[in-house]
Amino acid sequence: MVVCTGCSLLCEDIELVLKDGTISQAKNLCRKGHAHFQALFIERTRPMIDGREVSLDQAISKAAEILKSAKSPLFYGWSNSTLEAQAAGIDLARRLGATIDDTSSFCQGILMELVLTGKVPTCTLDDVRNFADTSVFWGADPSNSHPRHLSRFAYYPRGEKRQKSYEEERICIAVDVRKSATARLCSNYYFRVPPGQDAEFIESILAVLDGKIPRFGDKKRMIELGTVLRKTEYGVIFPGLGMVYSLQEKMDLLVRLVAKLNEITTFMVLPMVDHYNMRGFNQLLLDETGFINRVSFQGGTTVHGPEQSVMAAAKSCDAALVIGSDPLSALPFGTARALAKTSLIAIDPRRSLTTDAAKVVIPSAMYGLEAGGTSLRLDGVKIEFEPFFKSELLSDEQILAKIKEAI
Amino acid sequence: MEAEVTIVAFQDIFQNEARKKGIYTDEYRQLSAQIILDKQDITRLGVKDGQRISVKNEVGGVVVAAKISDDDPHPGLAFMINSPWFNQLVRDDVCDTSIPGFKRIAARVSPSEENVTQISEILQRMRA
Repeated sequence: MVVCTGCSLLCEDIELVLKDGTISQAKNLCRKGHAHFQALFIERTRPMIDGREVSLDQAISKAAEILKSAKSPLFYGWSNSTLEAQAAGIDLARRLGATIDDTSSFCQGILMELVLTGKVPTCTLDDVRNFADTSVFWGADPSNSHPRHLSRFAYYPRGEKRQKSYEEERICIAVDVRKSATARLCSNYYFRVPPGQDAEFIESILAVLDGKIPRFGDKKRMIELGTVLRKTEYGVIFPGLGMVYSLQEKMDLLVRLVAKLNEITTFMVLPMVDHYNMRGFNQLLLDETGFINRVSFQGGTTVHGPEQSVMAAAKSCDAALVIGSDPLSALPFGTARALAKTSLIAIDPRRSLTTDAAKVVIPSAMYGLEAGGTSLRLDGVKIEFEPFFKSELLSDEQILAKIKEAI
Repeated sequence: MEAEVTIVAFQDIFQNEARKKGIYTDEYRQLSAQIILDKQDITRLGVKDGQRISVKNEVGGVVVAAKISDDDPHPGLAFMINSPWFNQLVRDDVCDTSIPGFKRIAARVSPSEENVTQISEILQRMRA
């Protein structure tokens, strides 16, 4: 069995046969996972300095030299690294007085903070499979982002108290700005919300739950939704990026909604984080500093705030270490350009815009395939995995140890 | 002909798969460099499915392919898959939460005679 690190479900039941540089047989792999594993054979990085191939030792030495001389380095990425590598990264950031941030900073961070600090009740995916009769995918489309979510946990499987499964006992609700693949599956339980109006939608649900007339949306449908939520025995809200980007500073409305629902029945929240160990980084940094992301260790102190986010730090840093992430593809143009113009070090198994723009490229082993370790699934359950086959490539953790040694 | 639209980004498993095959592949460009427009907007712009569209705002611009939406009517609302093409249009001066507005980008769309923007051009812009 292999653990798939293609998304934060960390599916542990993967069976693989590799032959002649490709996957010849696979069992339980989704399309996303298959592409993730097949990527092992495509566009792998080589050690580079200024676009010229060098030895691994030279690349590591150059990275150490850049970081050692930097006055305000930025460490970014981390959501595709194991807990062990993340811990090594936080340690190195502290020693160098660096700013450290991860992908949660511009996606699920606000929500994850609510979960990790106990401001909203949460549960495990196994609880979802065993008990949940209502799953609300809000601004989330697991059919595209977490393809086995519905089949392993939320909808199709039989669970301890859900023996009749989706045929009779489970309901999936989609709240989205577009009729996504998941919304199409939810059929009658799809609620379209125009961009940026999720706050009004929540206020309408709260009104219905209080027995008042909703001001937003189709009144009849909102009352139907209220009835479904009231009749739920064990509900779970799975917020995606759609909800995060829409609510932003109004996230307290979600807290109010969940509190109200829990006065009536049981409702949990599980953010649909994308990368396989984003939650792990958030938990580790929270344990170390009291903050889940956006931390600067400059001057021996710990500072947290918007100025320490990758968006701001990309423009103020004089060197950036990016690990297992492609911010030049994923972040707004201005941030991407700022990173491209700094002394950029990319540690990555595969070629990306970020590795192509980097001053130094250090190739790494792919976790789950070429390197083992520990990660936190999207629900916080710790998953350990062994490498599927031997590789000469170093893991993130080993590369960071070598950089630390060189510094 | 030009139209004002609000663009919302989303994830697509097929584009994700194409990205794993390589960011410089035709497949990745074809699946990323497209804008899904409502039928009414397509008609108003006088374009057909697959025709090139210029998408511009105060941040930047790209040329992508038009795709007709099969969703319920949503005039004025367009969709693009999360990609470097979409991110050319996203502001990085953000609100208090420091989260960019990936889900609500105002832009102008119009038919274009230019080629679809290549990812190598996007990388050049970042380095310029």
